[in-house]
Amino acid sequence: MKPRFYHRSKARFLFALMLMGFIGLTARLIWVMVFKSQYYLERAEDVEERERKIKAARGQILDCNGIPLAENESVCTVTVIHNQIEDPKQVIRVLSETLQIDADTVRKRVEKVSSIEKIKSNVPKETGDLIRSYKLKGVNVDEDYTRTYPYGTLASKVIGFTGGDNQGIIGLEVIYDSILSGSEGRILTKTDVSGIEVENAAETRIDPVPGNDLIISMDYNIQSFVSQVADKMMVQKQAKGVSIILMNPQNGEIYAMVNAPEFDLNNPFSLTETYAALDHGENTQDLLNQMWRNGCINDTYEPGSTFKIITATAALEEKVVSLNDTFSCPGFRIVEDRRIRCHKTAGHGTETFVQGIMNSCNPVFMDVGARVGAANMYKYFGKLGLFEKTAVDLPGESASIMHKLENIGAVELATISFGQSFQITPIQMLRAVSAVINGGTLVTPHFGIRAADGDGNTVEQFQYDTKTGAVTKETSETMKMLLEKVVAEGTGKNAYIEGYTIGGKTATSQKLPRGSGKYIASFIGFAPVENPQIIGIVMIDEPVGTYYGGTIAAPVMREIFDTVLPYLGIEKS
Amino acid sequence: MAEDRAVLREKRLKRQMARTEKYFDYTLLFIVIFLVCFGLVMIYSTSWYSAAKDGDALYYLKRQGMFAGLGFVAIFIITRFDYHFWTRFAFFAYIIVIIMQVLVLIPGIGIAVNGSRRWLGKQGVITFQPSEIAKLVLILFLAFIASKSVNELKMFWGIVKTMALAMPIIILVVINNLSTAIVLVGITFIIVFVASNKYKPFAAMVIVVGVFGVVGLMAASYRMTRIDAWLNVDTHPQAYQTRQALYAIGSGGLFGKGLGNSIQKLEYIPEAHNDMIFSIICEELGLFGAIAVILLFVLLLWRCMVIANNAPDLFGALLVVGVMAQIGIQVLINVAVATNSMPNTGIPLPFISYGGTSVTFLLCEIGLVLAVSKQIKFKQDVNVK
Repeated sequence: MKPRFYHRSKARFLFALMLMGFIGLTARLIWVMVFKSQYYLERAEDVEERERKIKAARGQILDCNGIPLAENESVCTVTVIHNQIEDPKQVIRVLSETLQIDADTVRKRVEKVSSIEKIKSNVPKETGDLIRSYKLKGVNVDEDYTRTYPYGTLASKVIGFTGGDNQGIIGLEVIYDSILSGSEGRILTKTDVSGIEVENAAETRIDPVPGNDLIISMDYNIQSFVSQVADKMMVQKQAKGVSIILMNPQNGEIYAMVNAPEFDLNNPFSLTETYAALDHGENTQDLLNQMWRNGCINDTYEPGSTFKIITATAALEEKVVSLNDTFSCPGFRIVEDRRIRCHKTAGHGTETFVQGIMNSCNPVFMDVGARVGAANMYKYFGKLGLFEKTAVDLPGESASIMHKLENIGAVELATISFGQSFQITPIQMLRAVSAVINGGTLVTPHFGIRAADGDGNTVEQFQYDTKTGAVTKETSETMKMLLEKVVAEGTGKNAYIEGYTIGGKTATSQKLPRGSGKYIASFIGFAPVENPQIIGIVMIDEPVGTYYGGTIAAPVMREIFDTVLPYLGIEKS
Repeated sequence: MAEDRAVLREKRLKRQMARTEKYFDYTLLFIVIFLVCFGLVMIYSTSWYSAAKDGDALYYLKRQGMFAGLGFVAIFIITRFDYHFWTRFAFFAYIIVIIMQVLVLIPGIGIAVNGSRRWLGKQGVITFQPSEIAKLVLILFLAFIASKSVNELKMFWGIVKTMALAMPIIILVVINNLSTAIVLVGITFIIVFVASNKYKPFAAMVIVVGVFGVVGLMAASYRMTRIDAWLNVDTHPQAYQTRQALYAIGSGGLFGKGLGNSIQKLEYIPEAHNDMIFSIICEELGLFGAIAVILLFVLLLWRCMVIANNAPDLFGALLVVGVMAQIGIQVLINVAVATNSMPNTGIPLPFISYGGTSVTFLLCEIGLVLAVSKQIKFKQDVNVK
């Protein structure tokens, strides 16, 4: 029985069909393996590779003279890989001796079957090098860094600190995190599905890029001197806190910012004495947050009499007052149904506008404020930046708390005129006064000057906004003259230094609620009057005993200026 | 004396002719030997890592080697016999396979692995998959029946009747093993197709089955999941295996990572030595390795076609066509699934994928094909001058 011919053609047909199928699949294979190869390779590597991160050295924070305020210490992390260890006994002996851990603890970790086991981190570099020199199989010594702050508490709330992943948590460390942090390197290792490394597979290494250094306007010498003064004052007045800012009024560079009591940047998670007393376990984090607060920026206060500078400026700009206008102070003013007191209850009697400022007389400023009017007052508040944040390069800046314009009646206007019934931050106040005395330029207060690479070459020069024309030159000159008089002959005379022209204004603000008997004594001063090079604010929070700004804050400014002005090369005349 | 010499010479010539007439397709045999050995290498390469975790890196290699050895012994035995010898067992074997398929379905007798009850035997001692045996038996049975009813196959009714004879076993298999059932349907269709002298009824069947297939897929939601996974391979949670297979294939590139260097076999692809072994071949040996493997199968199928077309009778031809159908369908579906050219269904790559029953019985089938090739008669005795 012979097979019939149609079987043959059908078998050939079948083979041809199959062959077409194979050609189709080959085409598909070429598509996947040649044209889509890169796509699948990348995705495959995503799941196949394990990353080991190599920390990048964080950039230093340097003061304006190049003194490091935040730097890195090179340390090592010692790990063991169980299945690469050849001589466990020697490994245990060497590690326990060099790291001074007892042998049993080391043995436990060495004998644990795991892909990688940490023996100790933050090992000094010399110890790490010593362990490396033994060339033990299965023992890894990885480079690592810890952040250190050589001056501990110095400017703690400004500089800030970093967390476990080297990321900034507060202060400049947060704002300039991207500049300081650099980029981490990676070691990519092939692993099986459960993450166990494949032996003999090539490693891909991507080197870390170290972060850039940050150079700030803070001067270590000024900052540490001002810190000492603040600490001394705090003890002397048994105050809750003392805050001092020193700034260049021409460009907004901040020389010093002290918020006593400071905390230790090398140990930021342990509460200082004041806060430790309040700790009852659950509120630890709240207390830490309070401890880390930078009062100059994060908190608002009623500025009190220093704000008369702003009211006077508005009045001069609006030309509603001239220097020789006379006012009378019986010790109070009745505004609508309210009787608002002057600090001198007996009254200043008849006085000129100039004397009104020198005496810091409230009735004078209530009258002046009423002449300017609420709308015009707010116009100058706006020009002097009191409705906006200063954009200082620190995190968590507070905004001012102001009345709505339409809600301001005669009483509100009167209180606003001498600095009550609204809140601003000290840095806002300092910036507004800077604009008044520098000829009308609204600056951006700041610390950051430039970013530089490891060799000191500038990588980025920071630029800050300035707005000119906040007040006229003429008003600026008049105000400087008036404020110089305050220091020379008025309430601010405790800030006077023979041979220097110093302008300033005192303030004694009641803390809310009124009548609690808590005060903030403050003083704003600048020098030299002809061409202001430095402006400062001193704030003493809740002093015990005498609480007048002119009595306790002004002398602090004198002490500071007495040292800092010569340091800055400003000669006595 | 001279006459004696002449007689002797003639006798020697006849002996020579007899020897040359006795054809044996060594090409096919060597292709199969090569494929099986290559399969062993790949099984070791893909399985040692996970096998080593269970204590014996050689576990899968040893088992597959044993079954392959058994298969070659079977080839040796089967090629000793005239292939017509096996026809007397065709009905008997068919009944036995049906009984085994019924037994497999009974809990307590059928052994389940990974949730599918497909095995018989004693777990831990020896187990086998009756559905793999069913392929061989179905080929033998259908080739025999079709060759006996050639005249009926000229009519549509005869075609349907012959196909219906395969239905009991296909229905039993489809219950818990859709993939194998697809192969069985393919074998049945192809054997009857080649046995019949008609084209149109088969074309009509393909169209009808195609339409019903699409409707059926729409109806069964569990099948739809596979379709969804197929279309959204990059994201679908059910497409994990195929996705990893694509990663393996794609990352192989032109020349592969080198034998033994696959990463995806490190348990990224579950049981990579089974149905997805082709993806590891691609990863380790690259596009060139993959095409070489496909070419070997094309060569094997071509030899089958040549043997079928030179077979001494229709039964022999259909027997070979059946084997050719099984191997061709399995390779096509396996590669298509690995490259996500069709929805996922688990079909082993013949001779290469791990699976004892599969490789042993495939080698038995090759034994039958070789037995058929032995009876090829040359029309012209080129050696006789």
